[in-house]
Amino acid sequence: MKPAPFSYIRVATVEEAANALSEYTDAKLLAGGQSLIPLMNYRLSKPTVLIDLCGIEAFASVSLKDDVFTIRAGITHQSLHEHPLVRAYAPVLAECAGEVGHWAIRNRGTLGGSLAHADPASELPAAMVALDARFVLTSVRGERTVTARDFYLGLFTTDLAEDEILTRIHFFASSANRIHFAEIARRPGDFALSGAFVRVEESATEITWFGVSDMPYHLTLDALPVEEKARQALFTSLASTLEPLDQTVYRRKLAAVVAERAYLKGRRVQA
Amino acid sequence: MSDALHHLQKNALKPKYTGARVTRKEDARLLTGASRYLDDIEIPGMYEIAFVRSQRSAARICAIHLDAAQATPGVKRILTAKECPCFFGSAEDVANGVVQPALARDVVRYVGEPIVAIIAETRYAAEDAVERVQIDYEPLQPVLAMRESLLDQPRRVHEKTPNRMFHSEYQTSGFEDAFQAAPHHLVEVFQTHRQTGVPLETRGLAATIDPGSGRLTIYATHQSPHGLRGDMAVALGIEENELRVIVPEVGGAFGIKAHAYPEYLVVAYAALKYKLPVKWISDRTECLLTDVHARDDIHEVEVAFEGNGRILAIRDHLRADAGAYSAFPFCGAIGETVLASRVLTGPYTIPHLATTIDCTYSNKTPLGAYRGVWGPIASFVQEGIVDRVARALHLDPVEVRRVNMIPDELFPYTNAAGQAYDRGSYRASLEKALEMLNYDELRAQQKTLRDHGKYIGIGISAFVEPTAMAQSEAGSVPYESATIRIEPNGSVTAAFGLGPSGQGHETTMAQLIADELGVDLKDIVVLHGDTDSAPFGGGTGGSRSGPIGGGAALKAGRAMKEKLQTLASHLLEAAKEDVQLEDGKAFVAGVPTRNFSIRELAQVAYTDVLRLPEDFPVGLEVVARYQPKRPVTFSNGTHIAVVEVDAQTGMIEVLDYVVVNDCGRLINPLIVEGQIQGGVAQGLGSAYLEELRYDDQGQVTTTTLADYLLPVATEVPRMRIAHLETPSSGEGGFKGMGEGSLIASPAAFANAVSDALEPFAFMVSALPVTPDQILAAIDRSRDSMA
Amino acid sequence: MKTIQATQSITLNINGQTHSLDVEPRFLLSDVLRHKLGLTGTHVGCEHGVCGACTVLVDGKPERSCLVFAIQAEGSSVETIEGLSADGMTRLQRAFQEHHALQCGFCTPAFLLTATALLKQTKDPTEQDIREAISGNICRCTGYQFIVDAILAAAKGEEA
Repeated sequence: MKPAPFSYIRVATVEEAANALSEYTDAKLLAGGQSLIPLMNYRLSKPTVLIDLCGIEAFASVSLKDDVFTIRAGITHQSLHEHPLVRAYAPVLAECAGEVGHWAIRNRGTLGGSLAHADPASELPAAMVALDARFVLTSVRGERTVTARDFYLGLFTTDLAEDEILTRIHFFASSANRIHFAEIARRPGDFALSGAFVRVEESATEITWFGVSDMPYHLTLDALPVEEKARQALFTSLASTLEPLDQTVYRRKLAAVVAERAYLKGRRVQA
Repeated sequence: MSDALHHLQKNALKPKYTGARVTRKEDARLLTGASRYLDDIEIPGMYEIAFVRSQRSAARICAIHLDAAQATPGVKRILTAKECPCFFGSAEDVANGVVQPALARDVVRYVGEPIVAIIAETRYAAEDAVERVQIDYEPLQPVLAMRESLLDQPRRVHEKTPNRMFHSEYQTSGFEDAFQAAPHHLVEVFQTHRQTGVPLETRGLAATIDPGSGRLTIYATHQSPHGLRGDMAVALGIEENELRVIVPEVGGAFGIKAHAYPEYLVVAYAALKYKLPVKWISDRTECLLTDVHARDDIHEVEVAFEGNGRILAIRDHLRADAGAYSAFPFCGAIGETVLASRVLTGPYTIPHLATTIDCTYSNKTPLGAYRGVWGPIASFVQEGIVDRVARALHLDPVEVRRVNMIPDELFPYTNAAGQAYDRGSYRASLEKALEMLNYDELRAQQKTLRDHGKYIGIGISAFVEPTAMAQSEAGSVPYESATIRIEPNGSVTAAFGLGPSGQGHETTMAQLIADELGVDLKDIVVLHGDTDSAPFGGGTGGSRSGPIGGGAALKAGRAMKEKLQTLASHLLEAAKEDVQLEDGKAFVAGVPTRNFSIRELAQVAYTDVLRLPEDFPVGLEVVARYQPKRPVTFSNGTHIAVVEVDAQTGMIEVLDYVVVNDCGRLINPLIVEGQIQGGVAQGLGSAYLEELRYDDQGQVTTTTLADYLLPVATEVPRMRIAHLETPSSGEGGFKGMGEGSLIASPAAFANAVSDALEPFAFMVSALPVTPDQILAAIDRSRDSMA
Repeated sequence: MKTIQATQSITLNINGQTHSLDVEPRFLLSDVLRHKLGLTGTHVGCEHGVCGACTVLVDGKPERSCLVFAIQAEGSSVETIEGLSADGMTRLQRAFQEHHALQCGFCTPAFLLTATALLKQTKDPTEQDIREAISGNICRCTGYQFIVDAILAAAKGEEA
């Protein structure tokens, strides 16, 4: 199981990466590669040019200013999981980053890579949808900003143009408040069978599911019923509209369960 | 009591090494990464092979286009069936008029079957060429469903041979009357789905012509070095002395490396015919596709029993899917069913048994050995029956086991299938396990927790483990051999025909020899895995290395001890029976100062030979072979699993796990516990996680370790283990124990889930049982109650 | 910007030593360690990042050497089992022997490197910490219990 040949380009800046990407039409970005390289080893992906973003300077920084988090896309999952600012002001993001794969995978896999790969069972794209994050996409044509909710278009499909690189992520620290997360996987570190981010406010509720559809599934509701049975019935009825890629009945059931568990976690934390 | 006699008795009762928790001689090289596994072997000028494999489960090969592959940089040579006309034929296949070609000819019969071999400078280049081979197929209808394929539906896998490749029937006398007369009956269909051993090191072979001797040398990841040599020599048409098999460090085997595979013939043939040093190592997808599969069985069971839980008769129609060919050199489907039928009554005095066995060909991967072979299936059925009887009668499953368990006074006991069990600790192991678990208290807790919506289950599995069988994965070699040579400087070299893959034979065999010879463990080197240096033996498989190999070690040790005593008594001018061996010295009992060190004795034996007694052969070498008198010895024990089932998600968490194990006299408890813990982990995989799934076209859909789920550290529980020791009648009193933990544990895990879900009237009847199945069962139950 | 097509000279820092060698960009770090540098203590078990047998330390952190191209490792320091054992066995390795934490030994180097990194960052790990840290490493022989025991013992500084 060995990858097909390719040319390798190491870039030192985002500009270089954007230039390379516009120059080579059959290029792929290597942003850690913990999903890409297995596909290449299986020869399911055979890019002729690989542009390695891992050498870009300061591509893993995190800053928080005036309630705005700015995270550069090269941060590894493990760094995100451990970052003091993230832990303090967006704990749900730190928590779910720690659920991505296993330790060795998290040490190389990056946030940008995961967000652009758009695996429907992955935690981080859903987290960004839940946070209502903005992605900055950079190309030789310039920069544009797109919301996470508009970025995801379908199974492994995003709004990222062929010549664009996801370079920065912004979200409001305050938006991370009151979002809680639960997931169910067959074994720890496996892709989730179902997961949910639930944000509970006085008058409104947001749910972002993953693993139960071709992409993160976000919806906004009125306040949730406080009574357990009614609330669970609501989750069940909402989940019954999901279209999982397989194990439909089972995953819909789990979707209702993880929504409730994320909700209860929130209530415990906020109490 | 004289000092000498006291010393003798003390020595006899408490050997220094045997039975002790000795750490392993193997470990230093493994811990430092210094060891050499197959893929670590580099032969000068070596090429690597990659295979083009069938992507169809059933098709005619119309054309193979190799031009683009030939032109790929780095490619040395390409072989198809035409260039490599070798084949393997197991006895079962040959009886059916079938052989498996090394490379598929004309027809492909399972996904993954090798068709073309690319020999190239690197694996990278070989895989570049694999991609460029194009094969034109004419599809055939795949044969995939066991019940239909037995009726030759939709067609025959091998045109001239009926799919039913094996059939047998057995019935105890008076079965029908006993069955009909019973007051209670139940029926169940048990099914186990395909699994495989998945050793961390994949299988492979390297081959070259040894430039010195001109002989073919094969490096193989294999459990039976001599068995492989014999089989390869026949298939290649050369003599056994023209072939040397070297088994380097083996990274786990679990039965799948007891087989020889078509790829091995291709590699060896390329070396022999084209004089190319070559290597092929399986990748993980090749492993999941083409390592022998196992456990593809259906048991249709009827049970007759009394109101007190006493089971009177079992009728079982066993079916197994052999795959496209019998695995070589033995067929897993036949092994799993025939042997399961002989131990279906487990540790119970069930007097009547009727079995019908049918095995079929199909368009799936050949079925072969995976640790425990028939045992995990038989235990799952047997313990599933006991729990169903208990549930039908509203009895505690423990009570039903007590009612049926073979009482101690009945040993040796012949079961309904005619298998003779030697003495064990059947009742004692059950009671001990219950005590370790605090069973009665746990049952009470279970009830309380259930009222709070927590579903705890207790799963009991009392097992028998036939070990050291005359016939096993290690072929029909009912003995093992050991040579011991004391070198001129007094150090000890022993050699065995065993094929260890992590079991620690270098340590356990050395323990036995060290105690016989009274030398330090570190002064013994144990060799294995090279047909040039090892005496002929069956190899490792079927839990035979401890009892049979250990027996050979003891016999050889004793023969050497006798030689040393003869020599020392001559030199010390003492009676031979007064000569003791201890601390590397031979001395006169009671007078330790009158001694010769082993080193001095060796010097006499090799160099100062004029001092040897008359008729004493020069040198110190012995070879011993040990064949147990019994064709099998039965280990036994009880496992109990405690699990919690999350009724919202169907997820299972193991809360506790207790093992009471009796494998006769222990050689090394540390190693035995390691074997048990590993087997229980595999049992957890077997019960909950691992399944090789096929789609309706015969494609394997679980070709990565992200799909074929193995147990990881967060899943496997901490286990509590107790040993009982009922010695066998064989040398040393040893019984085998390599498989019992995987024989017992799937049943324990399955029964625990069944027990947890008793309020939902669910019992596990197919393995693995998965969370979605559990949740669906809970829903069905809730719907029917609503 | 540096474009590399065919074989390229790279410099790797492995176990504190500098190696200059020619690689194709597609060569996996695991293959280069094993077949170019003869460091065969790093084992390859699945080549898709699940089994963990190929784990090495890159700048002190466990990573899958089957999911890193050797060319990417330029500028990093890589530690393999051979480096860990350079001055004889460590306390952790001795604990593995004492607790029978290995059988076939194929997964063992990767467990040792993962656990070494864990003990560096967490001085007093709980059993659960250990089980989580090694959950990306598959062992088919031991059932993990003695591995956990060995790591716990090494963390506590227990010597055989």
